[in-house]
Amino acid sequence: MTPLLTYMDRPVEIAPGETVLEALLRAGIDAPSSCRTGNCQTCLRRAVQGTPPAESQNGLTEAQKAMGYFLPCICRPSSPLNVAPPDDAGARLPATVRSVEALAQDVVRLRIETEAFPYRPGQFLKLIASDGLERHYSIASHPEEDPFLEMHIRLHPGGRMSRHVMEIAKGHRLHVAGPLGTCFYEGVDKDQPLALIGAGTGLAPLYGVLRDALRQGHRGPIRLYHGARERKGLYLREELEALARARDNFDYAPASLDTGGDLAALALEAETQRASRTAYFLCGGENLVKRLKRDLFMSGASMKAIRSDVFSPASL
Amino acid sequence: MSSLYERLGGENAVNAAVELFYRKVLADGRIARFFDGVDMDDQIAKQKSFLTMAFGGPNRYTGLDMRNAHKKLVAKGLNDSHVDAVIENLNSTLRTLGVPEKEVKEVAALADSVRADVLGR
Repeated sequence: MTPLLTYMDRPVEIAPGETVLEALLRAGIDAPSSCRTGNCQTCLRRAVQGTPPAESQNGLTEAQKAMGYFLPCICRPSSPLNVAPPDDAGARLPATVRSVEALAQDVVRLRIETEAFPYRPGQFLKLIASDGLERHYSIASHPEEDPFLEMHIRLHPGGRMSRHVMEIAKGHRLHVAGPLGTCFYEGVDKDQPLALIGAGTGLAPLYGVLRDALRQGHRGPIRLYHGARERKGLYLREELEALARARDNFDYAPASLDTGGDLAALALEAETQRASRTAYFLCGGENLVKRLKRDLFMSGASMKAIRSDVFSPASL
Repeated sequence: MSSLYERLGGENAVNAAVELFYRKVLADGRIARFFDGVDMDDQIAKQKSFLTMAFGGPNRYTGLDMRNAHKKLVAKGLNDSHVDAVIENLNSTLRTLGVPEKEVKEVAALADSVRADVLGR
């Protein structure tokens, strides 16, 4: 018989009426908590197998619910749950390189093939090149349209993964784990405005979300703001301009610093008036994401309507 | 007689108040600096937890959590005037939502009851 509760595949005893948090603590598992009434979200965990009771997902975003996140402090399971920490990427799977192409001077498009890797466009995965060399990358492909996983990799001078990516070619073997992240098209009203704002390779998840939104029949206006240091860093520009011409409800707004463009200023100026009605996806460096999140929230956007991924540079 | 939490409208009332309250706090020059650099998603969940307690809702409030959470802020100069500012913002949030004065006072009293823990006294 399947035990009612397992943690990282280890069976954990849980008494009738006991919460998952109480059971984890009794088993000596490190499980942080604070309010213990389902409000503060300090204890957030993810069910990697099984469905948590609906009341244990109260207050979470639709994307978090779809990923199995729940609050152990108010979770009394009635069917088996296998629980993991919120950022656990799970088992690694073998993958094969399909192609490596330049998208811009310092951005490459890596496409890899792997078996059975369900994901939502905009999530990220862990790319494992070798022991000790692994990085998180957002997924720009679409599971129903592309027979591969696509990542946009920014090349950092002296970066170990950057060097590695430049040396590999079709047929090279590596591993992936995941997916992770809740920056995907879920809980968005098809008629509400959608704004995607990203800098550099922050375009990758937004490109995935954009295609997913169009595929799912999003009817409200969609605006994609992409920023780069230099004009030639605005990769996929021609493709996005063509898409904007072909679609009535899609606009593309590029901004590059070398031609006087300021992504945050451009996006905020246009968005402030409609912030309270719009669904946001923000992807880029920490300063940019924090500034946009705060300013959009102060302009009336609900925190639940702002999804974001911060891209932090890996240590070399 | 129904509880304060029920009279206010329970969890729906907390949800209606939390973003309004957080916006007022962030816009208040007296206290905004204490929120510099915090993760806003984490913070909104913590604000919800605080409002649930102040609304008389279900909580397992322990002074220790409150003390630990504010320790660093006390070191940065958090004092009575800042607690007063937070309670002022809470009052004005409730008034914006049309909550009667009697309940506004009850909420303020509950919020004030954690002052010593927040300030580490």
